[in-house]
Amino acid sequence: MASAPVTTSPSTEIACQSCGAVLTVDASVRSTTCPYCASPSIIRRPPTPNRPSPTFLVGFVVNHEQATQAVRNWMSKSHAFARSDFKAAVPELTHGIYLPAYLYGAVARANYSASIGENYTETETYTTTDSQGKSVRRTRTVTKTEWRPLSGQFQCYVVDVIVTASGGVSNQALEAIEPFDLRSLRAYSDSFVAGWLAEEPTRSQAECFRFAHDETIAMVERRLKSFMPGDSHRGLQFHANLDNEVIDLVLLPVWSYAVRYAEDQPPVQILVNGQTGRVGGKVPVSTTKIVFAVLSVLALVLIVAILLSVAS
Amino acid sequence: MNEPIEVHPVDEPPHCSRCESPLEEGDLRCAICGQAAPHADHSHAKHVSVTLLRCTGCGAAITYDPDHQAPACSFCGEVLRVETIDDPMEQTETYLPMTVSIEEARAALKAWLDSLGWFRPSDLSSASTLTEIKPLWWVAWIFDAEALVSWTADSNAGAGRSAWAPHSGQTPLRFDDMLVSGSRGLTDQEAYAITPGMQLGSGTDSVVGGGDQPTLERFDVPRSQARQQVLAAIERTAADRIRAHHIPGTSFRKVRVAIVLRRLITRRYSLPAYVLAYRYRDELYRVVICGQNARFIVGSSPFSYAKLFLLVGGIILVVLFFAVIAAASS
Repeated sequence: MASAPVTTSPSTEIACQSCGAVLTVDASVRSTTCPYCASPSIIRRPPTPNRPSPTFLVGFVVNHEQATQAVRNWMSKSHAFARSDFKAAVPELTHGIYLPAYLYGAVARANYSASIGENYTETETYTTTDSQGKSVRRTRTVTKTEWRPLSGQFQCYVVDVIVTASGGVSNQALEAIEPFDLRSLRAYSDSFVAGWLAEEPTRSQAECFRFAHDETIAMVERRLKSFMPGDSHRGLQFHANLDNEVIDLVLLPVWSYAVRYAEDQPPVQILVNGQTGRVGGKVPVSTTKIVFAVLSVLALVLIVAILLSVAS
Repeated sequence: MNEPIEVHPVDEPPHCSRCESPLEEGDLRCAICGQAAPHADHSHAKHVSVTLLRCTGCGAAITYDPDHQAPACSFCGEVLRVETIDDPMEQTETYLPMTVSIEEARAALKAWLDSLGWFRPSDLSSASTLTEIKPLWWVAWIFDAEALVSWTADSNAGAGRSAWAPHSGQTPLRFDDMLVSGSRGLTDQEAYAITPGMQLGSGTDSVVGGGDQPTLERFDVPRSQARQQVLAAIERTAADRIRAHHIPGTSFRKVRVAIVLRRLITRRYSLPAYVLAYRYRDELYRVVICGQNARFIVGSSPFSYAKLFLLVGGIILVVLFFAVIAAASS
């Protein structure tokens, strides 16, 4: 794919179709709401290679209250080393947004080689000492592995790889709230984004292709691992080519929250899958709790060691 | 980027340009390979334009409402009709005619009871009474497809110290007129036993034969689930064929396949059959007869344990007899 940069065109000036107010909207915004009359406006721009028109969309199912409750539950149940002020913080809604992402598919063709372990059992004789201290010979059955080379070709369809096209959300952050149920995929229509913030792609398609390739190669490796025969395998090597690639722009429903838990720390971004309610985000850890836990373990080990030395 | 979808004549459904499988009405993407289907709205903005969607009832602006999962007017509450996700229930496209009459089905049952062999009760045919004979059409998917199957397996061919050796390969397979039962009334075993008697070329678009009120079974799964069932059946069939014809050796384990399908064409059939119930000594037994060829028949029948004990006793007596003779002669 051509690695054209995303155009950083200036903001667009539009007139609200309801009250006539002149609004300035960022070039990355596809849908917005008039601050004066709350009327939703959808901005349609000529498609470019890095900003194609959306092909599909997944509609919001989770409403604002459900998303906020999901975030509260997730924060209060975050792991033991999470900062206490984070657990007690109040999530602030940033917005419900249709996030641009690419839906990628390809035909994967791979040449692979590996050593396949086939188990077999043998009866072997060994010498040991019995309860009277005499040396005796006994037999036992042991499982051994015979390693055999295997190579071949593998071909499969790879479908439904989702990668972010938004500069504001990393691929890891999107993966944290996946999966989306793509059985509910709809053909894109302006009416689904009316009243919601919808973002245009802000990453180049070449960058998104790289994300998709990396995810696909990782997926092929997982499939190859489960494709190997035998009782075990080692040294799996493969070279995969991806052909017949398809990539379609899809808008995904995401609730984005900002949690400010300390004055001296930047807010934490928490995302909620607007279709399933799954929550994802990076939990800030408390160094005090970690230090306390490490010291407690060291103290426990020290006490056990002292008790053992006294006992001996 | 997506390749253009091939243009086919008006009477042909559109095909996926990647795997050449036909796309059905309402498909957003190819169910086999994920390629996007051609979209009706190809219009792209030539310049920047702004759209405001208004309620047709009161003229207020509308917004998408997650509770209704549709755009709705926040002023008057009217919900707009939107394109629904098209996953219709499967419908029969072709009916095969019932060419076996009720009399022929009765005669086939009697002949079958007579042919069951020595271990069945001697009076099975004469003492059995037919309690019900019901013509019905059961549902199935018939598919054609091409597949490139990558496979690995363990087999005894080339085994060394272990009883197993690994093998791999890649094999093109073709599936013609493969049947996947969609019936709830017939078991898979019954459906597959009578299928070879069906003449798939004799299909029509309406029911022929079977009396005044035949039972017509309907598909009870939506299209997406039907496709999953068909794809699972293809994978099972491919693994069976690879095991039977392509893996060297005589015993196998861990047969694994990866399939790239092309030109998957699925047709929805209703197939004729008779379901019969007969009673023998207060027990009911069930038989299914192919509605197009009464030679294809499958069912349950009683087993004569008396004859089994008689045979075992006879063998023991013969063995004893020869043992006594051998002891006497020595």
